[in-house]
Amino acid sequence: MALDAKIPGGPISEKWDRHRFELKLVNPANKRKFDVIVVGTGLAGGSASASLAELGYNVKTFCIQDSPRRAHSISAQGGINAAKNYPNDGDSIWRLFYDTVKGGDFRAREANVYRLAQVSNDIIDQCVAQGIPFARDYGGLLDNRSFGGAQVSRTFYARGQTGQQLLLGAYSAMMRQVAAGKVQMFPRREMLDVVVVDGHAKGIVARNLISGEIERHAADAVVLCTGGYGNVFFLSTNAMASNVTAAYRAYKKGAFFANPCFTQIHPTCIPVHGTYQSKLTLMSESLRNDGRVWVPKNQGDNRKPDQIPESERDYFLERKYPSFGNLVPRDVASRNAKEQCDIGKGVGETGHAVYLDFADAINRDGRDVIEKKYGNLFQMYEKIMAENPYEAPMMIYPAIHYTMGGLWVDYNLMSNVPGLFVLGEANFSDHGANRLGASALMQGLADGYFVLPYTIGGYLTGTPKADVTTGHKAFDESEKQVTDGINRMLAIDGKRTVDDFHKTLGHIMWDYCGMARTNEGLAMAQTMIQELRAEFWENVRVPGNTADFNQSLERAGRVADFLEFGELMIIDALARQESCGGHFNEKFETEEHEALRDDDNFCHVAAWEHTGDGQEPEFHKEPLVFENVKLTQRSYK
Amino acid sequence: MTKTINLTLKVWRQQGPKDKGRFETYHAKNISTDMSFLEMLDVVNDQLTIDDKEPIAFDHDCREGICGMCGCVVNGRAHGAEKGTTLCQLHMRHFDNGDTIAIEPFRAMAFKAIKDLAVDRSALDKIIQAGGYVSVNTGGAQDANAILVPQEVADLAMDAAQCIGCGACVAACPNASAMLFTSAKVSQLALLPQGMPEAAKRALNMVRTMDELGFGNCTNERECEAECPKEISITNIARLNREYLNAGFFSRSI
Amino acid sequence: MNWITGTLGSSIGKKLLMAITGFSFCGFLAAHLAGNLTIYGGKDAFNGYAAHLHALGPLVTVAELGLLTFFLVHVIIGLILFLSNLKARPVRYAVNKSAGGRTLGSATMPYTGAILLAFIIFHLMNFHFVDKTDTTIFNIVSNAFSNTGYVAIYIVAMVAAAIHVSHGFWSAFQTIGANHPKYMPLIRTVSIAFAVVVGIGFGFLPIYIFLLA
Ligand SMILES: Cc1cc2nc3c(=O)[nH]c(=O)nc-3n(C[C@H](O)[C@H](O)[C@H](O)COP(=O)(O)OP(=O)(O)OC[C@H]3O[C@@H](n4cnc5c(N)ncnc54)[C@H](O)[C@@H]3O)c2cc1C
Ligand code: HEM
Ligand code: SF4
Ligand code: FES
Repeated sequence: MALDAKIPGGPISEKWDRHRFELKLVNPANKRKFDVIVVGTGLAGGSASASLAELGYNVKTFCIQDSPRRAHSISAQGGINAAKNYPNDGDSIWRLFYDTVKGGDFRAREANVYRLAQVSNDIIDQCVAQGIPFARDYGGLLDNRSFGGAQVSRTFYARGQTGQQLLLGAYSAMMRQVAAGKVQMFPRREMLDVVVVDGHAKGIVARNLISGEIERHAADAVVLCTGGYGNVFFLSTNAMASNVTAAYRAYKKGAFFANPCFTQIHPTCIPVHGTYQSKLTLMSESLRNDGRVWVPKNQGDNRKPDQIPESERDYFLERKYPSFGNLVPRDVASRNAKEQCDIGKGVGETGHAVYLDFADAINRDGRDVIEKKYGNLFQMYEKIMAENPYEAPMMIYPAIHYTMGGLWVDYNLMSNVPGLFVLGEANFSDHGANRLGASALMQGLADGYFVLPYTIGGYLTGTPKADVTTGHKAFDESEKQVTDGINRMLAIDGKRTVDDFHKTLGHIMWDYCGMARTNEGLAMAQTMIQELRAEFWENVRVPGNTADFNQSLERAGRVADFLEFGELMIIDALARQESCGGHFNEKFETEEHEALRDDDNFCHVAAWEHTGDGQEPEFHKEPLVFENVKLTQRSYK
Repeated sequence: MTKTINLTLKVWRQQGPKDKGRFETYHAKNISTDMSFLEMLDVVNDQLTIDDKEPIAFDHDCREGICGMCGCVVNGRAHGAEKGTTLCQLHMRHFDNGDTIAIEPFRAMAFKAIKDLAVDRSALDKIIQAGGYVSVNTGGAQDANAILVPQEVADLAMDAAQCIGCGACVAACPNASAMLFTSAKVSQLALLPQGMPEAAKRALNMVRTMDELGFGNCTNERECEAECPKEISITNIARLNREYLNAGFFSRSI
Repeated sequence: MNWITGTLGSSIGKKLLMAITGFSFCGFLAAHLAGNLTIYGGKDAFNGYAAHLHALGPLVTVAELGLLTFFLVHVIIGLILFLSNLKARPVRYAVNKSAGGRTLGSATMPYTGAILLAFIIFHLMNFHFVDKTDTTIFNIVSNAFSNTGYVAIYIVAMVAAAIHVSHGFWSAFQTIGANHPKYMPLIRTVSIAFAVVVGIGFGFLPIYIFLLA
């Protein structure tokens, strides 16, 4: 199948305007005749639900948590980018566009990224109007900071809780529509299938997580905003319920999965400290503005950090990247930390950590200044590690944080299944092979507030209205499939818990499909996953029954999908014989150990089509054409 | 340094809203003091699963203290005894070897039981639906810097906006009142110029809804403030009282 | 009138009524205490104070009716609040610990209130609704307080009153929304000080008279 991204013609800066003009409008009086299902209430789903309802559509919104306000977006700390150029430091729409494309190692679609940069300013306006208490300077203007190595200060923030504030803004806009009767909210529901009728997405099948009941919901379009799949690694900075299930079941219904191997590792997380650990905690990247990263010069140096003299410390980022130093991009910082630990210089009980030292900054600026900047982060660190980072250096280690891959979508954010739209982290669209800090929040809100409300209208007017009800046989089939899957899992009654399988899978993924990959490792991992999957279906133990609040069952379904999806990631990683951004294959590196792209052969989006259980997925290519930026080798020396 | 402890847990088990519920005793062995409280429960649940018993149901998601999904009453204290800490951020190093820990769900008429430690807090969403927003549709907002907001005001608003909607204030309040939660949202929006046009209506409607949902009445016991994981201050409750009374007596809204 | 009942009938409205009535009782207590202190001036001073008071005639009646209304409001709403708060948590905690917010005063408001209610009825029957034709108020008071049982009841009641206002005083400010970081510490201090003054001021009177007698 040909992958047509439906990118409008004309100069890049005019594409979106032109497209908005060309899209057919839905008559205001007719909007109320259309039902739209939105799955997910993160920044993408929350903003989409609110905006669609404001326009007059009937929206049904679903989420796993007990309240839409708890979607995983809530935990984003650092901030949100926009090209406002308030600090007058040379930012512009064009620069944000360029930085994003370059940061993504030239594996993103130009037109989408440009649009993202264009609407970024509207997002900030909208959020302020909603009453989001962004940080301000003394004069009362909005404050900006520089983030993740950007050369301009374009990041808006609300203390260390930007995601929370943005999400609560979208949530309250949505609650207003719930009160107005335009959004019907279904919390504690897990979508388990997309229902496709005559090739169009016409509804979903979901499980009521309290009663266990399988519910059917029909609509004229389905919008997935179900977040990223970082939890395939078991340990990640994602929330516990983050999953690939929604996206993966859509994939099984014909939607293409794009670039699944593009995952992002965040360099500053609190290190793993035990096998019981259930998740990793991110420490905002802003810490690298003042902290210095180091390890002991000598392998196996077990002395306390304060007993290691300056001359026996290796500030490896400053040494290797004199101009960017500790502020190199996420992937570079992460890989270097891993490299130091791999050669035996790691610190802490496990040897899987490096120091992030604030002693110099405290000496230079005083403790007060540092406390003002990072107080809440230091407190969080102390809570978890029981160590005072004002006195001893922090220990950090990289962790899985974000997934750039996702369901393939065209310029309209519609997947190849007509009527199935995908927004936010769940789609693959804007970040290429690596996402810049503070750009995910921007993308989620751009998609939901400013893109989908236009493009969905184009689909709805352009498609004959078929009034599919939940009695349709496609729903029968879907429901049966879902119920069978559940019953099958419950019947196994094996010996290993769901989490046990999940942890094993996580180890495989982290070791072989994590920060640095090799062809041999990937091939081996593929076999290991197949074996693990086979064992899962024979030996997993899922207690309880289906007609109940059964959290083990919920997890089992998600892990079952991860066990299939992990293999898809590996297939994608193996197919992409180059290194780019978050995908680093050790075979392809520059002399400076940077990712070495192969633009002649891999300047494309890899989109995978499901061809049946246990069968190789089919590869589809969307070539990436760069008309406005020149492809260069990244260098942060 | 990591060490391990053994604990006796008295956990509230309740099949559903119609079940009466009772305490069951479990032994948590070799618990690392670096574990979080929820990780400790994970370990207990793993063992229960292997032993062919039903694991304990409890709500959680982010496990970093921001989503507000977790929360139980631990030895009589919502989210446990550590100040400014959610249950998921409470570490086992705060317990001693041999301790007995009683774990109960948040209890309030407005929070219906679901199962074991999980309760239904959708009443908090209903309070927000009654007015916890600024009525602006997407699009058409003026430039974000068009209205200046003094830093101090933005900071105060942010202090209130930090509420994670966990419901610990309700759980900890001797009267099961939701005033701290409600006041946090009312304060945030009453402080900012963007929220002012609707301030009167908002205060009236949110308080009315809160009352209808069966929460108790605030008697200024200050337990909420002491227990709130985000340390939201009761000065917000005073502000809500002010906003409400002003709205009730001096605004045109009814 | 809808907006009035709407506003006053809500949880905050009821609290407002509690605060206004309670706070005016605080005022009353202060005045009452000032009057009672004349007892230390001896029999004549005290009788003189009573006579002055009665000379105000209808004003006293108006004040008494006002107080009575306020009293009924305070008691009835206090009861309504108490019951609805009980109902708000139908299943109690098995283990219940304070996080440090509650005080002795705040935790016992309904109970100290009930003691006060009982006491006030008792007090009025003893000193207010009695035949004062052949005697002076000083005699009635000193008679009563020569009895240890009476003294004990009064002391208990005054301790209860002190505890009640130790929370009630500052709480009333919070209820009407007067919580300012600059002044709240002062209000809380005054609250405790007022409680001590009420407790000792009223509580010591019966002891003084008992010792005198
Ligand atoms: C710790 C952390 C910090 C971050 N900090 C930043 C930052 O500073 N700046 C930045 O730009 N980005 C940051 N990010 C990334 C950013 O937060 C996410 O990419 C973004 O919030 C994703 O939003 P979303 O709306 O796509 O999905 P999510 O917020 O993940 O929401 C997913 C929604 O889908 C629902 N859902 C999922 N599956 C199902 C199903 N099967 N059925 C029903 N519902 C389902 C969930 O209930 C949830 O409501 C951070 C991420 C993490 C983990
Ligand atoms: C001299 C007598 C009294 C004084 C000075 C007094 C004073 C007060 C004050 C100032 C408050 C605080 C109001 C607020 O928090 O806003 C209060 C509350 C209360 N009073 Fe009294 N009161 C007196 C008598 C009584 C009596 C007789 C009762 C009961 C029958 C009573 C029951 C209560 C209760 C239950 C509260 C708590 C209500 C709440 O906080 O919601 N009081 N009182
Ligand atoms: S006010 Fe505090 S305790 Fe109450 S819901 Fe918000 S965060 Fe939780
Ligand atoms: S699990 Fe999110 S706050 Fe505890």
